Amino acid sequence: MSKFLSVLLILSLVFLSACNRGGSGEKVITIAVVSGVEGDALTQAAKDYEAQTGIKIKIAQFPYQSLFEKELIDLQSKTGAYDLVMMDDPWFPKFASLSNALTELTPLYQKKGLQGHDEDFVKTSLALCRHPYESGKLFALPYVGNSQLFFYRKDIFEKYNLKSPETWDDVLSAAKTISEKETMKGYVMRAASGNSAVADFMPIFWAYGAEMFDANGNPTINSGEGIAALKMMLELGKYSPSGYASFGADEVSNHLLQGTAAMSINWPAWISAFSDASKSKVIGKMEFTTMPGAKNQGKAEIGNWLIAIPQSAQNKDAAFDFLLWATDKQQMKLSATRGNPPTRTSLFKDEELLKKNPAYPVQLKSLETSRPRPRTPQWNEIENVFGIYLSKANSGELSAEDAMNKANEEVKKIVERGK
Amino acid sequence: MSMFLSNKQERFLPYLLIAPTVAVLFTLSIYPLFYAIKTSFQTGDDLHFSLGNFTRLFSDGFFFSALAHTFVFASLALTLEFLIGLSLALLLDSKLRGKNVFRALLLVPMMLPPVVVGVIWRLMFNSDFGAINGTLKSFGFDTTNLTWLASSKLAFLSIIVVDVWQWTPFVFLILLAGLQAIPNEPYEAALIDGSSPWQTFKNITLPLLKPAILIALLLRTMDLLRVFDSIFILTEGGPGNATETISLYIYRTAFRFGDFGYATAMSFVLLILTNIISAMYIRFLQKQEKA
Repeated sequence: MSKFLSVLLILSLVFLSACNRGGSGEKVITIAVVSGVEGDALTQAAKDYEAQTGIKIKIAQFPYQSLFEKELIDLQSKTGAYDLVMMDDPWFPKFASLSNALTELTPLYQKKGLQGHDEDFVKTSLALCRHPYESGKLFALPYVGNSQLFFYRKDIFEKYNLKSPETWDDVLSAAKTISEKETMKGYVMRAASGNSAVADFMPIFWAYGAEMFDANGNPTINSGEGIAALKMMLELGKYSPSGYASFGADEVSNHLLQGTAAMSINWPAWISAFSDASKSKVIGKMEFTTMPGAKNQGKAEIGNWLIAIPQSAQNKDAAFDFLLWATDKQQMKLSATRGNPPTRTSLFKDEELLKKNPAYPVQLKSLETSRPRPRTPQWNEIENVFGIYLSKANSGELSAEDAMNKANEEVKKIVERGK
Repeated sequence: MSMFLSNKQERFLPYLLIAPTVAVLFTLSIYPLFYAIKTSFQTGDDLHFSLGNFTRLFSDGFFFSALAHTFVFASLALTLEFLIGLSLALLLDSKLRGKNVFRALLLVPMMLPPVVVGVIWRLMFNSDFGAINGTLKSFGFDTTNLTWLASSKLAFLSIIVVDVWQWTPFVFLILLAGLQAIPNEPYEAALIDGSSPWQTFKNITLPLLKPAILIALLLRTMDLLRVFDSIFILTEGGPGNATETISLYIYRTAFRFGDFGYATAMSFVLLILTNIISAMYIRFLQKQEKA
């Protein structure tokens, strides 16, 4: 009986693995990309590459969350399913800290007789691709250079003689004025638990001089600065549409597009929607600027898309060729015309692109001064817990002090577990 | 059969015939189950074996609140689904005009995928642009504080409303089938004996419907305890973790944090609890049959 079973198992395994391979000796590169504008640009580039070189490229496109799951499983169990993986930068520390998961790029450069990456990449973007952050080995290249911007209604600000907000106090007083005098809300933010609440809070947190961790990696979320920052967020919440504690990015952008709110933190990907008559009631009225500050100068959160080669990739060299081609100046310019901010300084200053993207100088300034989310492999877990307590504070369930104390306690547990 | 097979072969035949089923069961259920047991004892990045995942359960506040949310959600939704489902079944079992149309319409929510249901209700619950607050506003109600998915209590109510909306038809369907299987004679006898409608319901309908009720409750309880998709779309467990059920927490732990060991440990706790509850139902059901 057991013999029969094992034969059956072996046969089915052989059959399955035969299905997995392409069969012929033809080179195929498989790329895991995200659905949405970032992934679409890379998919388009892959098609062009196929036409130019004859190398076959298979695209595996997934929504944001499932992309992370697929990549994590691929990298953890070394399935070799993908030759290139596109990743959001907060995932990078997790992936890079798995043993033998990502391919170091410098040896691949050397193999081609090259020194290494060129200097055109924005420093803050490239720093994300190194493990440890900024100083370590290079494991990826930046493809899409997002960083948060501050959006506000130029026309309303002019109407009430308000100056472009430079500090969070400016934002608060403008929000108050606008909420009192207009039918719209002065501010809109997203405080749904998880990524949303944290992304909209980090710039305030940093501006107030708070830090998530001290030099030894212990959480310092509930410092005086941190609590003051959360109090500012709650103040802003008073001038935000009701229900913002459940808002995600879509709701925030809808309020801005419908003209029912005057200011928010948002990502550059939404800029083009404001001049689209089918979506926007505020064409030509929106202004984009860098993050307001407080005690510290304002810093935006960076959110880049990176591309890396798994260690288990079956065609590393071909994958690296494509990676270099897709991130070179010419291709990234095409990607920029498809709606993705570049990661190359020269492209932010490109005449042609500037005509279509007047916010590029601000975007470059924001990107260059931006900060990454804390570089820890446990970031997903930490962000989740932090987001839960921020969301609780914003829905009125907890006071600012309680929320930050509890968040600190829970994050501490996570950090201890990782040690 | 014995004309073609020797005694020995005949004894072997049944095993041969069930071998494919066993093979499928083994590869798809039994092997994964044992693999999961192994995984639940693995901790840390190096996957060393320890009891860590199970001891961690006891100090994890999020786990206990997820467990509490699951049981409160399940019991409230189950009660409502049962009461509404039973009333509808009684109503549509009578000689109501147009009952076939009602029956067909009642099944629509059940046919929709939970994800679609989640998206539709999420839009309806939107406090600024949604249909629910819009309708209330047009009747002159003040909806400023009705932020359905943003305040913890309302969000919890919202997920119950959606589940009741979608799954009451299922309870209704089983109970209706049960009602129609009850023969007419006891009712006729009761009528002759002069029993009131309430007495008839209490002494005839309810006892004879008990098996159907238990099956409906059992199936719904198991589904409610592992509810995932509609809540994931509606609130993703928020605000805070006010609507985070155990399945959502397990999902988050496994696929967002990559901690498969802890996630499987929690799954086992859920499995054991679901089993205990199901066993209680089944025992009760068997007792009824014997009586």
